[in-house]
Amino acid sequence: MHLDHLRPGRTKKHRLSRLCLTVVALMLLMPVGLTLLYSFFSPEEVLEQLQLRGSFSEARFMPILLIPRMISMSQYYEVLLKDNGILQRFLLSVFYEVAVVAGQAVFIPALAYALSAFRFRGRNALFLLMMLLMLLPFQVTMVPNMLMLRALSLLDTVWALILPMWFAPFYVFLIRQFMVGIPRELYEACQLDGAGTIGCYWHVALPVSRPVLGAAAALSFADIWNMIEQPLTFLSHREDLQPLSTVFNRLIDVPSGIEFAGAALYMLPALFVYLFFLEDIVSGIQLTELK
Amino acid sequence: MFERKKSLMLFLLPGLAGVLLFYAVPFLGGMAYSFTDGHVPFRWVGLTNYRAVWGNRMFLLGLKNSLLLSVMCAPTVWLLGFLLAALLCRLKGSGNALRNSILLPYVMPSSSVLLIWLMLFDYGGPINRLITALGCGRVFFLSGEALRLPVLLLFVWKNLGFAVIVFLSAMQAVPDAYYEYAALEGAGFLRQCVSITLPCILPTCFLMLILAWVSAFKIFKEVYLIGGAYPDEAAYTLQNYMNNLYGKLNYPHVSTAAYTFAGMLFLFFGLLFLIQHRSTKAVEGE
Repeated sequence: MHLDHLRPGRTKKHRLSRLCLTVVALMLLMPVGLTLLYSFFSPEEVLEQLQLRGSFSEARFMPILLIPRMISMSQYYEVLLKDNGILQRFLLSVFYEVAVVAGQAVFIPALAYALSAFRFRGRNALFLLMMLLMLLPFQVTMVPNMLMLRALSLLDTVWALILPMWFAPFYVFLIRQFMVGIPRELYEACQLDGAGTIGCYWHVALPVSRPVLGAAAALSFADIWNMIEQPLTFLSHREDLQPLSTVFNRLIDVPSGIEFAGAALYMLPALFVYLFFLEDIVSGIQLTELK
Repeated sequence: MFERKKSLMLFLLPGLAGVLLFYAVPFLGGMAYSFTDGHVPFRWVGLTNYRAVWGNRMFLLGLKNSLLLSVMCAPTVWLLGFLLAALLCRLKGSGNALRNSILLPYVMPSSSVLLIWLMLFDYGGPINRLITALGCGRVFFLSGEALRLPVLLLFVWKNLGFAVIVFLSAMQAVPDAYYEYAALEGAGFLRQCVSITLPCILPTCFLMLILAWVSAFKIFKEVYLIGGAYPDEAAYTLQNYMNNLYGKLNYPHVSTAAYTFAGMLFLFFGLLFLIQHRSTKAVEGE
């Protein structure tokens, strides 16, 4: 700011803000950093460390490991090239991810467009319905989901995870909130060029909503990549169909020393999505107006 | 705004059909179902299911823990998110790298950092090392009531970024002049937060509180990861109870528990909306 040099106290205060934020940021990044670091330890060294867990001896602490005895890729080697189930689960997670996001891309922006660019009777009622559904936590929506899946005999199939997620009300809400803000002049200009509602959707609504679409894609990715409740309930009798996110705590019961490479591998797609959609997440999430 | 009806259906119907099919219709159908015995042909049993579930010790325990954990988690996420966003807002563009690092955990799967969590909170782990260094006794974090702390922190770790982004996007719209004037009048950071930022972004604050609370109510993932499928009683949530019933194929009781919870939530949110309505009016009236 242009007045900064007149107020020496201000920059000093900012230094304090920066310090606080840096400490918080480092604390938040630490688990990711440590996982990546430990994935380059040798399996034997990790195993040694993990076996010290759960000891209730008052005299001892676990050593804090920061430097590997030797940098080793053997965790990755074992995860990727030996048969231990992690890679299959990983591919299964990728499959769910692609199937859900593809369906969401078809249904959700279109519904948000209908609820924002059209005027019709019952529009506000429908939007209220979306909001109410959005506010329901999973324990509540799992029951309707489950009853319908059971009626369609889709429980314990991959569709049980995929189909309800295609219509997740939260993303309808998120995208609709953004689309409401698109100036009507843009649609009018598009119509003057001879486009109908479909043309306006394709040439105005979608491109203008690019940030929120990117943000929604990233949030949805994170949600699906991290899902635990849905597989545990809808696939409760098909352990073999459950994605990687649900098996981590079982993997650790019998440590094999390669868990960190599995976890790091699991972080990698999330890291790419984060880097790719960072700008969209930051600029696309606007929840301010509840109209 | 388009008024033509035919093409509306093209956009509206596919999505709406799905929402109705998987959410709205079975929601109402399930409500009726919770008053039956659950076997074809359905026999009306009135409030029997409700009485059975409300009298069940595990249901009450799950409900209590879910509420307790949400009371711990939602305000923590809200408050920390608000403060961090306010600090970031002062740094303007130069805080972008910090903002990005704070956002990172939001897209990370919490299951992938589980191992680090288990090591940090182990009886011989670094957190206990710190506690002993401060002169206190070690804590069993992975069992009993203390289990709630790692669960809380994992939840905060994962959800803080979203709150910060939402708050930040609202705070950036507050004119700088307000803060400059307040600074000239001698208002410090906290005073500025309470007297300028909060009233200026009140609708966002309110919505964020609701969203944080919704995601805190469904807290289970963190409990499942840290405590396993059968956690300590101190961390037994509503979802544990429902999964358990569901495993026993007791669908009427699952729906009963869900609708009881939904009823409570709607009462709670209704109350919050009322408060928000009142306070917005009060702010506008000033």
